[in-house]
Amino acid sequence: MKQPVIIIGLCLLLIISATDGQSKSKHPDRFVFASYGNVQTLDPCMAYDTTSHQRILNIYEPLIFYDGSAVDQYIPVIAKKVPSLENGGISLDGMTYTFEIRNDIKFHEGQTLSPEDVIYSFKRNMIADPEGGPIWLLLEPLLGISSTRDENGHILPEVWGKIEQAITISNQNVVFHLIRPYPPFLSILCSSVGVIINKKWSISKGCWNGNFNDAPKYNNPKMGREPLQKIANGTGPFRFKSWEVSKEFIFECNEQYRGKKPAIKVAIFKFVKEWSTRKMMLQNGDADRVSVDSMHIPEVLSLKGLSFYKVPQLSVSGALFCRNINKIGNPYIGSGQLDGNGIPPNFFSDIHIRKAFLHAFDRDMYRRDVLNNMAIVPTSPNIEGLPYHANTPFYKYDPQKIVEHLKQAWNGKAWKKGFHMTIVYNTGNEMREAAALMLAENLMALNRHIQIEVQNVDWKDYLVNYRNYMYPFFLIGWSADYADPHNFIFNFMHSQGILGKYIHYNNPEIDQLCEKGIQVVTSTERKSIYEKLQHAWYENAIGILLYQQVNFRAYRDDINGFVLNPIFDDEWEDLKTLYRR
Amino acid sequence: MLAFVIRRCIFLIFVLVGISLLIFSILMTFSPERRAAAYVQSPQQAQNIPGIIQQYGLDQPFYVQYKQWMIQTFRGNFGWSLVAAQPVWDAFCQYFPVTLELNIYAVPLTLIIGIYLGTLSGIYRGSFIDHFTRIVAIIGWSLPTFLFALVLLMIFYGYFGWFGTGIIGDDFQLYLLNHPDQFIRYTGLYTIDGILNGHSAICMDALKRLILPVITQVFVVVALLMRITRSSMIEELSKDYIITARAKGANDKIVYYKHARKNALIPTITVAGQLIALSMEGSVAVEIVFNRHGMGWWLVSSATQLDTPVLMFMCMFMGLVFVLSNLICDLLIAWWDPRIRLSTS
Repeated sequence: MKQPVIIIGLCLLLIISATDGQSKSKHPDRFVFASYGNVQTLDPCMAYDTTSHQRILNIYEPLIFYDGSAVDQYIPVIAKKVPSLENGGISLDGMTYTFEIRNDIKFHEGQTLSPEDVIYSFKRNMIADPEGGPIWLLLEPLLGISSTRDENGHILPEVWGKIEQAITISNQNVVFHLIRPYPPFLSILCSSVGVIINKKWSISKGCWNGNFNDAPKYNNPKMGREPLQKIANGTGPFRFKSWEVSKEFIFECNEQYRGKKPAIKVAIFKFVKEWSTRKMMLQNGDADRVSVDSMHIPEVLSLKGLSFYKVPQLSVSGALFCRNINKIGNPYIGSGQLDGNGIPPNFFSDIHIRKAFLHAFDRDMYRRDVLNNMAIVPTSPNIEGLPYHANTPFYKYDPQKIVEHLKQAWNGKAWKKGFHMTIVYNTGNEMREAAALMLAENLMALNRHIQIEVQNVDWKDYLVNYRNYMYPFFLIGWSADYADPHNFIFNFMHSQGILGKYIHYNNPEIDQLCEKGIQVVTSTERKSIYEKLQHAWYENAIGILLYQQVNFRAYRDDINGFVLNPIFDDEWEDLKTLYRR
Repeated sequence: MLAFVIRRCIFLIFVLVGISLLIFSILMTFSPERRAAAYVQSPQQAQNIPGIIQQYGLDQPFYVQYKQWMIQTFRGNFGWSLVAAQPVWDAFCQYFPVTLELNIYAVPLTLIIGIYLGTLSGIYRGSFIDHFTRIVAIIGWSLPTFLFALVLLMIFYGYFGWFGTGIIGDDFQLYLLNHPDQFIRYTGLYTIDGILNGHSAICMDALKRLILPVITQVFVVVALLMRITRSSMIEELSKDYIITARAKGANDKIVYYKHARKNALIPTITVAGQLIALSMEGSVAVEIVFNRHGMGWWLVSSATQLDTPVLMFMCMFMGLVFVLSNLICDLLIAWWDPRIRLSTS
């Protein structure tokens, strides 16, 4: 018995001592980040998740990019300058954008970038237009449509011709012809749909061959059929070295990069799902940064050798009232009538009911006890960090006002008979659960005839149900596609907005304002429109905004040079600016 | 024996068709919208659900979808894994070696320790060793794997800084990427490929990172084997032939290890076969805590995200593994105990 134990013990010692020193060595030119974000694709036409964006935007480059932490200031990257009304790059009607292209840019595989590559990149993206992908971002301003296909999946007539004419080359300049003025266009160009790929190389890898007659063959590729999913040839400061899904993604510095060479030579992005493992990696110096969810922030604050940063995010979670609930087989509205055992499908069409719910949300307590003061409670969908953000009034927690509004709602019937409904949130979202419970308790405490249940369902089921108008009151989040109020205000408030249409909100005046906001070019006009819309959010009591996430970042304290921009979430890291002290 | 094996192999085809029909039917109970939602991550993408249903034919009748799946499977195309962002077969080739490498070390240790301690506690019933193994078995079964793995990680990696997480260290990983010609992935297992390529440091590093996961896996699984062996030993030791052997003056070692244990191992072999088969689908707790994503993580993530092609593939794979493990167990038991004959009728 003793002998095997001694032998096993000696083997263990040998294994520990043989490799321990090597794995602990720290490399000044290496950066390691551990998170739970999984990359889906490296193909710019397909990528619609923040993790893929981070990878793509460090390998490829767009025409212009955000200037440091600003979301409305840009720097030229592949373009020689940022077009504006002042320098003539943007036409006075706001419908033509002209970019002068640099001629000293090389792809990782040695090809020189040309204007031809630029127009190919955009046209190829629009031709591919995968279902559920990000290409609507280009199609909307350039063609005025959100998809190249109709509802039945048939390709729209003459769409290829329109794509062909949307971007042209003139005197070695690339000219974008917009269908209408679209002020967020520059912001869209900073995203991964705006990066430039090499035409010849892409065609050789199976991308669109440049012939519009063959375009249908390349339209709507299934997942995994996009040719550039696992290969890359960009112009960026980092090359794609290796990617093992759910293990790690490795970047290697592009030594041929023009200008200042990045200080970090190798960057490893590890997929580490378990928080405790990530924490120990950070603590032991095996990771320079890890993803920290809000509930773990106090644990991280107690660790030594770290520096901490907070970045407000351009994303918001809210609770929206559906004004025309689907009553067929709906278990969430009880009897479907205002008889004390349910609610009618149009229950929330009464503004007093909505106002009663808004007054039942205790913002201060929610910020303090639920968000631990680590997030912002917004007042309108045009959240902090977006252009034209204005401080608007908001509904304060007030039991007396709740009672007043409930007594006025439905001619007093809502208060007299009470009602019964269910608030549903997606499983695992503790902050939404807390908001639902708070509303339910604050309302039920005032009238014993009011019965509000709180339930959770899986996110995928949640998605299907709210799209079918099953929830009287649903809690949902929205993250920026680009840094402009249009992306938030339109989708929350317009009758055809992605969230607006599922609450059956239909106010022609607001619809008109939302549309005008994207059609005017000058800042002063836009500011006035978005201020009106932000006030309308309050006056019409459209919904309750719960929280605007603040991204908490913990770096090893020898890491420096990071750029924190609210448009990017926790997965973002601009590697070329990083260095180790 | 050959007829027996052939019969089982033919039986395997029916099992696989049965499993595929069953799982496919279960998955079809989800609405097309719900299955299309698996492709969607955000409210932005959710507006494309009708297009996704149309593109992937999710609203087609059951038999059309099943036929399509069968045709693709026979062509060797198992579909696309949303969770792994690659074809199902490629994902399997990535995750299976990770699980296999863990099991290659954990399974023999489990068998050796389980049988050894089970035998001892059977022989010395009521003694210290019996009580000790009982406590180990109770803890092993009742303590959540996730918690035990975390405790080990916190002590050895978090506090002492030993062992490390993942499959291989960053230095070695980069070395392998920069010198692909110097390291051939014969088996996909770093500990074995390290030796085959003459890179003992890589083998040692991979071994070092296996210690804690293997301890966790062994500790959790060994309890069942120990208790089965113990009860079989107790049963065998009370049989007449043991009393006869003792009466004839055979020494204890021969009675315990040659006569009693040989017979006591028959139920143990059956259980061990099932445990080994089960271990092929990986342990999600061990994989997540020690950051070695293998079959367990892949299966659980696919199940929660309703990644249909993966679920179909995994059910087929596990069906295959269980049928084969049963076959091997039957053959092994027949070889182990000549009194048992394989039935061909």
